[in-house]
Amino acid sequence: MAESQDNKSDKHPKSGMKNQLALAFKQAPWRNRVQLAGGFLVALVIVILVASIYLSISGQAAAAGLEAYQLDLERLDLEREIANTNSRIADLTSAANMEARALEMGFKRIDPADALYITIPGYPGKQTMVVTSPPGTVNDDRLLVKSVYRESLWDWLFSGINSLNTTIIGSGE
Amino acid sequence: MKKFSFSRSKVLAVFLSLFALVICYQMIRIQNSSEAEYLDKWAKNYGYEVRTIQSERGYIYDRWGNLLAGNKEVYEVGIELQFVRNPAAIASTMSNLLELDYGFVFKAANTPYVPGETVYMTLVDFVSYEKIKELSALKTRYENQNPYGDDPNKPSLRGLVWSPHLQRAYPEHDLASNVLGFYTFYNREGGTGSYGVEQYYDSLLAGIKQNVVISLDPYELQEIPTAPAGASLILTIDREIQRSVEKILDQAVTGSKSVSGTIIIMNPENGEILALANSPRLDPNAYWEIADLFPDVTAINKSVTQVYEPGSVFKVLTMAAALDAGVVTPETTYTDYGVYEVGPWEIFNWDRGAWGEQTMVGCMQHSLNVCLATVAEWLNQDRFYSYMERFGIGHRTNIDMAGEVVFPLIVPGDQNWNIVNLATNSFGQGLAVTPMQMVMAVSSIANDGKMMAPHILKAYIQDGQQYDTVPQVMGQPISAETAHTLTEMLATSLEEEASDALVEGYRVAGKTGTGEIAVNGMYTSYLTNASFVGWGPIEDPKFVVYIWLEKPRTSIWGSVVAAPVFSDVVEELVVLMDIPPDDVRVGMTKE
Repeated sequence: MAESQDNKSDKHPKSGMKNQLALAFKQAPWRNRVQLAGGFLVALVIVILVASIYLSISGQAAAAGLEAYQLDLERLDLEREIANTNSRIADLTSAANMEARALEMGFKRIDPADALYITIPGYPGKQTMVVTSPPGTVNDDRLLVKSVYRESLWDWLFSGINSLNTTIIGSGE
Repeated sequence: MKKFSFSRSKVLAVFLSLFALVICYQMIRIQNSSEAEYLDKWAKNYGYEVRTIQSERGYIYDRWGNLLAGNKEVYEVGIELQFVRNPAAIASTMSNLLELDYGFVFKAANTPYVPGETVYMTLVDFVSYEKIKELSALKTRYENQNPYGDDPNKPSLRGLVWSPHLQRAYPEHDLASNVLGFYTFYNREGGTGSYGVEQYYDSLLAGIKQNVVISLDPYELQEIPTAPAGASLILTIDREIQRSVEKILDQAVTGSKSVSGTIIIMNPENGEILALANSPRLDPNAYWEIADLFPDVTAINKSVTQVYEPGSVFKVLTMAAALDAGVVTPETTYTDYGVYEVGPWEIFNWDRGAWGEQTMVGCMQHSLNVCLATVAEWLNQDRFYSYMERFGIGHRTNIDMAGEVVFPLIVPGDQNWNIVNLATNSFGQGLAVTPMQMVMAVSSIANDGKMMAPHILKAYIQDGQQYDTVPQVMGQPISAETAHTLTEMLATSLEEEASDALVEGYRVAGKTGTGEIAVNGMYTSYLTNASFVGWGPIEDPKFVVYIWLEKPRTSIWGSVVAAPVFSDVVEELVVLMDIPPDDVRVGMTKE
């Protein structure tokens, strides 16, 4: 049997090696199980790896989503607070309040005859209001969240396949 | 041993396979159960939030940046029925703290919770921040004493919630309220600007409003849209001048027992309205009182929403036209016999007297109707009405405030025009104008003949940019020379008359007016509109002041009730506008 195998291997070296391997597996069947287990483990590791990455990214995306939602609520709160503060300041500095405070502090209305006018070279006088920013949000048309942060792993995979498909079909045409 | 081991592993494999099958079965069962269907439906309802994105309404400032209209935070208080533990405690608290009816709150808090249907009840809206602070402290205290509201014998405010939103606020209360108008903030969904600039610039102030669907699924990271704030307005109004003028006007209306009053102050060089006071005024923070305060809806801003027969202040325009056309000069003489006959009608002077020979200065100084009717005749009807058109009489000024009205100028050829109209129109009767029209027309005399468009908006701020308005020339009805001549004539006539309108240290020009009011088609001598129009300092006018007192009762004459008001206003103005007395100003110019 061994002789005939040797003869065959002499004639066909590759098939001889195959036979040797088959023989080796036959003599030690646990090799098969190890190979199967190894293959299974590799597949399992890959699945776990992909799942871990997917979960990690999804978790981060969810956290970012929640944070974005919270930040938006916070922004609304701040806008209201700013509006409220502006209104309160205006209340405290209203003409009626300022006049009452001035009178309390002993100020009196000036008699035009008592006014002293002096020329200050270069002084343009009291200037009217110039505002550089509006009270609310500055409008910005740019998208803050890039599309890459909004697509799932599958979206990314399928969009990749689609684009590849389009490229191939495109080149075929 | 080996055989046993093999059997055990087989049993284990079978057991695990069965367990896996059970798990799979359970997964499929859960996925297709009626509960899953309900959850799916629930997720569709609550997985998304339809949010109304609304711009914060723009602010309104005076010319120096003082806030006249802004927004403040207020709260809606309601009950989330699912979480109510002690309805009596909620009713008692709301009754004591916010003065709500105990029975109403108790009934609301006892409303059964029906998922998807009755989950929330609104108790009260527009609650102040201070009240909410008190409410919050009380809720926290009760929660500490009775965690989760488990003890029914202890108070708990569980279920009572509040949410903030903005409310239009007017920190200066009734100051310039006729200019501002108001925003109907109690209508949270459909509030609009009413009257004044709030209405005129409503779309600009409001910004945008849109409903957007926002996913509540945190995995669906999406950009939440924002709405930029509405544009803010900077008005030409000067808060300090406005306040001073309103005080003077209130005193004048009370002192003269007038029905109402209006004062307009305009910079003739650029048409900016520095102050526009009305009396009485509405506090826009309580805008719903408008019906009680003003039974006539046009009354909130009479300077643009009501026309009246101005009387003798109109003579300024007649004289300007005659001077400009070269028909008269200040020295032109005229003999006043006390009556002017036109067809079957007779025109008399205000005192029904004859004033003899008068120059044109005398005509203006004594406000002679007969003289001005004669001057209008000399001018002839075509030229007279042509000049009135050029002064904008019969046309809107197009000032940027809501509700401006106009009364058409009846001219030769119109069905209602009669030859007597020329005579009566010459001294401001038989026609109707708004105070704003008069201010615009007269501003041409104070501004070298150039008539500037009156406007209330100095600039607006949108998307971080400030856009300044550009003053507009409405035309040049008269020459600069005519304007100077007439100004000098009117200054002289005030000085020679020793008018109450004079201001120490400053030369001013002006004219009184007493317009009779027609009742049932007949003019009455006891109901008048008292007016005064003046400007100064005459070398370089910085202000035009128009005063109108409606139906004064202490005296019917403009020279008695309106002229002193002009003097009071100018005394304040020269200080607030930093205008030195004439002698000081001349000295400073020489330096």
